[in-house]
Amino acid sequence: MAEWNAYYQNEDEDEEQEEGEQSGGDYKVTGRDSLVFLVDASKEMFIKGEDGEPSNFDMTMQVVRSVYTSKIISSHRDLVALVFYGTEQSKNPRNSFKYVYVYHDLDEPGAKRVQEVDALRGEKGARLAAETMGSGETSLGDALWCCANLYSDIKLRLSHKRLMIFTCRDEPHRGDSAKDRQARTKASDLKETGVIIDLMHLMKPGGFDVAPFFRDIVSQPEDESELGLHLEPCDKLEDLQKRVRAKEQKKRAMARLNLCLGEGINVAVGIYATAVTARKPAAIRLYRETNEPVRSKTRTFHMQTGSLLLPSEIKKAQTYGKKQIVMERDEVDSIKKFQDPGLYLIGFKPMEKLKTHHHIRPAVFLYPEEGEVKGSACLFSALLMKCSERNVFALCRCVSRRNYPPRFVALVPQREEVDEGKVQFTPPGFNVIYLPYADDLRTLDPPQCPSASQIQVDKMKEIVSKLRFKYRSEAFENPVIQQHYRNLEALALDMMAPEDTEDLIMPKVDQINHRLGPLAEEFKDLVYPAGYNPESKSVAKRKTAIVGGVAEKKPKAEVPEDELRAHVQNGTLGKLTVPVLKEACKQFGVRTTGTKKQELIDALTTRLTDTV
Amino acid sequence: MAGTKSALVLCMDVGFSMSNSAPGEEPPFELAKKVIQKFVQRQVFAENKDELALVLFGTDSTKNPLDRDGQYQNITVHRHLMIPDFELLEEIENQVHPESQQADWMDALVVCMDLLQTETKGKKFDRLNVALLTDLSTQANQDHLDVIIENLKQAGITLQFFLPFPAEDDEEGGGDSDRRGPGHPGTGKGLSREQKESLDLVKHVMLSLDEEDGLDQVYTFRDAIEQLCMFKRIERRPMAWPCQLTIGSCLSIRIVGYKAVTEERLKKMWVTVDAQSNQKEDVKRETVYCLDDDNETEVKKDDTIQGFRYGSDIVPFSKVDQDQMKYKHDGKCFAVLGFTKQNLVRRHQFMGSQVVKMFAPKDDEHAGVALSALIRALDELQMVAIVRYAYDRRSNPQVGAAFPCVKQDYECLMYVQLPFMEDLRQFTFPSLENNKKLSPSDTQLSAVDSLIDSMMLVQKDDDDADQKDIFKVHHIPNPAFQRHFQCLHHRAVNPGTPLPPMEPWLKAALERPDVISERCQAPLEEIKRKFPLIEVEKKKKLKTSAQIFGKDAEEPDAKKAKGDEEEDYNLADIAEGSVTSVGSVDPARDFRTLIKLKSLPFGEVCQQLTHRIEQLLSNKNTHYYMKSITCIQAFREQSVKFLVVEEKKEEAAVPSAEDTGDVDDLLDMM
Repeated sequence: MAEWNAYYQNEDEDEEQEEGEQSGGDYKVTGRDSLVFLVDASKEMFIKGEDGEPSNFDMTMQVVRSVYTSKIISSHRDLVALVFYGTEQSKNPRNSFKYVYVYHDLDEPGAKRVQEVDALRGEKGARLAAETMGSGETSLGDALWCCANLYSDIKLRLSHKRLMIFTCRDEPHRGDSAKDRQARTKASDLKETGVIIDLMHLMKPGGFDVAPFFRDIVSQPEDESELGLHLEPCDKLEDLQKRVRAKEQKKRAMARLNLCLGEGINVAVGIYATAVTARKPAAIRLYRETNEPVRSKTRTFHMQTGSLLLPSEIKKAQTYGKKQIVMERDEVDSIKKFQDPGLYLIGFKPMEKLKTHHHIRPAVFLYPEEGEVKGSACLFSALLMKCSERNVFALCRCVSRRNYPPRFVALVPQREEVDEGKVQFTPPGFNVIYLPYADDLRTLDPPQCPSASQIQVDKMKEIVSKLRFKYRSEAFENPVIQQHYRNLEALALDMMAPEDTEDLIMPKVDQINHRLGPLAEEFKDLVYPAGYNPESKSVAKRKTAIVGGVAEKKPKAEVPEDELRAHVQNGTLGKLTVPVLKEACKQFGVRTTGTKKQELIDALTTRLTDTV
Repeated sequence: MAGTKSALVLCMDVGFSMSNSAPGEEPPFELAKKVIQKFVQRQVFAENKDELALVLFGTDSTKNPLDRDGQYQNITVHRHLMIPDFELLEEIENQVHPESQQADWMDALVVCMDLLQTETKGKKFDRLNVALLTDLSTQANQDHLDVIIENLKQAGITLQFFLPFPAEDDEEGGGDSDRRGPGHPGTGKGLSREQKESLDLVKHVMLSLDEEDGLDQVYTFRDAIEQLCMFKRIERRPMAWPCQLTIGSCLSIRIVGYKAVTEERLKKMWVTVDAQSNQKEDVKRETVYCLDDDNETEVKKDDTIQGFRYGSDIVPFSKVDQDQMKYKHDGKCFAVLGFTKQNLVRRHQFMGSQVVKMFAPKDDEHAGVALSALIRALDELQMVAIVRYAYDRRSNPQVGAAFPCVKQDYECLMYVQLPFMEDLRQFTFPSLENNKKLSPSDTQLSAVDSLIDSMMLVQKDDDDADQKDIFKVHHIPNPAFQRHFQCLHHRAVNPGTPLPPMEPWLKAALERPDVISERCQAPLEEIKRKFPLIEVEKKKKLKTSAQIFGKDAEEPDAKKAKGDEEEDYNLADIAEGSVTSVGSVDPARDFRTLIKLKSLPFGEVCQQLTHRIEQLLSNKNTHYYMKSITCIQAFREQSVKFLVVEEKKEEAAVPSAEDTGDVDDLLDMM
């Protein structure tokens, strides 16, 4: 087991290394991302849907909560605020705005905030909202102004500023043109400071009309091509969640490279990680006395002199046998260098040449960078269309960073797909699949096993059909991470016990058994001989081994004659083991020359059908 | 299976015909020697327990245990079975030369078999292999052919042949090897009668050993250099992972998993040694903890506890508590959650770094039949199993897909990890097709079409349906390993000399095949004409010292420094408070202020700044690095000015005080 264990123990280490590799791209933007939820708290928001559907307010709070918790897990340094408008009470930094209630100002979300948002959910939440904030007049202009102040009060550098308005009222000021004008002015002020304003409009009777008012409030898409305003309002939690999620994360390129088709033909592309293994964050060291975080400093110094060693005073070495091989630090780097970073086109191959099992690390995503090389998007788009149309992928040599050795990658075309609500669910671009080298493929000696008969296969097909479901990649939460955060949440909030987490990757055994009904037994009857127990066999074996290698003498394997005949008739002799078959041959005086199973079966079949 | 090892005999023809070559071609001898060097090199660096022997034939002298009565002549056992080392590498380099005799390769094979049988006695080897490198120019004695084949079979010795020419015509054996144009030396000349006869004999031997794939183990020298033929045969097999595949609680199938694909890494790490003594014991790394206060008060490790961040909160959470409260599970498992259509599991959502193949246990044919039923059912329905996979109790469970894989000679399930919700980042990107400004015209599209046509790496043969792939990535050995071993080898044997350039074949193996390069010339020109690409001028991303200190940093320019000073400086800074020493908040500003105020001697202020820089550098954090760079900038700028002043005073040239080399080091560290 040594090898497997070694791998798993090193897993974290290994992948950390990989992670470094992936996230190592030049993160030029150093500021924090920020997101303000500006939520309408008017009476209309609290109206429950038909058949007990949650109110728009309730739905919004669920979304806000899920954004809070996901930020805590994935990007805890982002700042989030929750502001209500159209309230009766007002609460804002200088209390200079009426009908605006800053529930949470711009800060990193924490356990307490999650709890406070939770308090606003459901029936109870609506009551609490009515008590603390109430519903009053609306001045979106003031609300936006207040939000502008939130931004300007932040001393940190903000890199990405977004504001989402959640409302189900398309005319918040009911035609008060002065208020409308003020709101427009404030919105354009905000936009000028780099805030992107989105509208998450919710269902209302009679439909939500974006045109008269909100069209001028929200940000114009960055360029013509960006998916503009969603014209359809959201009426489902899932949709709203999807819309918010799509906007909430700022995408950043891990690296910007050139995709070189040939001499002087360079297409600028950005590489994006669309799936990165989420891990438990590393622990922080705290000072026992005060619980304040401590910083760690690692120093390299000389044992004898005690002086700090500069990079130029150390070298790198490896020892083989008794031979020490020493290199300068930059030599170690230079060994790894083959070419400058970039993608270089080798050629094209039909899609069926991309093997499922040629997988060594998660894929990344490629999208043109028009801002680096003008004309990139057009050539990229042409390549994408043609590759997709002809069902081919582009094979490229890829050097992802300075001093990284090359790997070959398959650029697999992916056309844009949007759902009914015009929300993009697959973006246009190339998926970059890393391909293995010869060293990465291991030689296996597959065991020689008999194949199943069509009857056996068909029975399994029934089982498979009974347990069909529609796989969605976002359906499974990581129980390890979820449990970790629940624990932290419980500790942070002084809860008695952490909230229960449902382990979504646990098989629902009872349901499966129920669905299968008699199928499981039927299948086992078809493939396993009587008395075969797949669970105990290996265990039993090991036990005898422990006892001291004195293997019990196998009981004489004998099968009653009628049972044998039944097997012959049904053609299921193959279920018996070779020793049993041999014994049966002896029993019937069948003389066989061969020892192969099929030979034994054939001989027995001939013999027993003859005598029938 | 920690103890598994292989024994391999390299049996190389050094006879006179091996030196023959057509003009401009490398003689077979040189190629064969390269194959052996490359192989031994990797074995040395792999540091496994595999043992190796070297037998030469066609040698002028004779030295082998079977040398009797004029039999087995001109065959030399150069090295007996043992773990390969640098010595062997040096011997091959310096002592293996072309010689002037010829010997029967069949005889040489017998010597190798005898060697394997006598020298492996009492030791346990999992694999025995003989690799024969020859041009087959001698007539082989066929008298004992059957005995030899029988002996090979019984002893479990596998055979590999390495020849200067392909064993079969191009469509099969030499499939991807002739991609570099003219191809194999020797093919052009046509084979001699002896070679033809010997080749038939080789085929006969190989097919008697393995009816189906025997000929797959006959390689050309070129293939051998560019691929890893020899390694694959003696490679250690991955560890078995026995488990049960369960569907609900009533149905389980015994399975065994093997890691089939995973990114191989170099086993050995670089250790840091002192540049003077080359001793790693002289270098010590130490981690200290300190409070985030002005004095950076150090605290003992024992006085610290563990905590985690929960958003803005930091929650103290001891290791003991963490272990007690963490997610626990029942350990090893491969449980089906359900089945789904293959097309719902997207290729780009594969996670993790490996593919595990699941077979039935070798001795359990019932499990084999049951697993086969599942594999075939999935295959026929185009579905996959979604499973919960846990390697053991200590490792985190995963969700993944088990794909059916039905091959001619085996069936298995292939397991790949799939993402958790937390892993996914749903990015949206602007539409490309629906954008009028960006969408390509018809002529542009047809230019791309002809580019794809000209660059197809897979060609359909006209006569049969077989496709020929001329660039198989999974046949290329990882070039990083090759280069790494080449450099280590060089440094070990020639210490003190600069590292060698990359080997030409390695460079070539990573390039576009020549055929493609030629074919795509015109279409590429067309693309160039049809798609204007204009680079947008931007600041260089990579910071060099010149950029940090300004273009003309090399020549101190007092005037410029003076000009800058007026801009950067404003009185408010000075008026803000009295600066008495270089603080940690904005050391560069404090430094400038102090220099300006002249309240402290220049040297002392510099010392204070240097101290701060050292402090900053001890934090591994980009922010601190950037801060220290601004300090160094200030340091330099003030020093330059100081120098100019001093120069004026002394009217003497003083060399630049700052060594920019260190700044590059600093940038490297980031």
